[in-house]
Amino acid sequence: MIAWTPFHNPMTLSFYHELWLLLPLCAAVGVVYKTIRIHDLRHLVREVIFLMLYMVFGLFALAVAIWLIHEYWP
Amino acid sequence: MPKQQKTSTPAPLIALVLAYLVPGAGHVYLGRRKRGIIIFVTITALFWSGVAVGGVMTVDSVRERWWFIAEMLTGVHGLVGWHRQRKVYENVLSGQAYDLRRQDDQDLLDAKLHEEGVALVAPAETVARAYAGIAGLLNLMCIFDALMLAIMGRTGEPPPPKPAAAVPKGART
Repeated sequence: MIAWTPFHNPMTLSFYHELWLLLPLCAAVGVVYKTIRIHDLRHLVREVIFLMLYMVFGLFALAVAIWLIHEYWP
Repeated sequence: MPKQQKTSTPAPLIALVLAYLVPGAGHVYLGRRKRGIIIFVTITALFWSGVAVGGVMTVDSVRERWWFIAEMLTGVHGLVGWHRQRKVYENVLSGQAYDLRRQDDQDLLDAKLHEEGVALVAPAETVARAYAGIAGLLNLMCIFDALMLAIMGRTGEPPPPKPAAAVPKGART
């Protein structure tokens, strides 16, 4: 068996973990977007949290809608 | 109080090149130091998190062209990732001639990458490429912002927004 080296060999992930890894991605998108958009950096944390919640709940709602269509569309 | 100066004229080309090469450097050049540092830390962390998940084949110039273009937008990070990927291909192929447009050669290469333990497969592939690629796309947004600010000649932190004009009591609208 080959020894695992960080940044060289890929990690072993499950599909369940993949969904959780969406959270840091949303956070990073929110931080960069709000950093260039807001006037006052003191409000950055609050704005990022709101944007992150929008993204996460938006994606969740989209997932539910697609699942409903997939399950119940004639 | 931070003030936005319009007197100095930053060079748009320098802002563009700096923002591309080092994420956030364009904003630092324009006097938005804190924003530049936040952008640098976030984009760097996102890109290298992707590489940590996906390994050296996250940046793949041969078979993932669209993701590769996005990853290259992270500047030095993408270039380092590309260099590391090229080294792996050189080692794996070790001077043999392959035509990666042919399915047989692609299968051979896949087998060799699996032997080396660097082949990137789902779900790690999805996460790694999304992280590294989106880091590049976020930097594209920052490059565009730095370029526009430089073209408009804006340096330093933006001034606070003006409060809405007070309507005198009893005034008819």
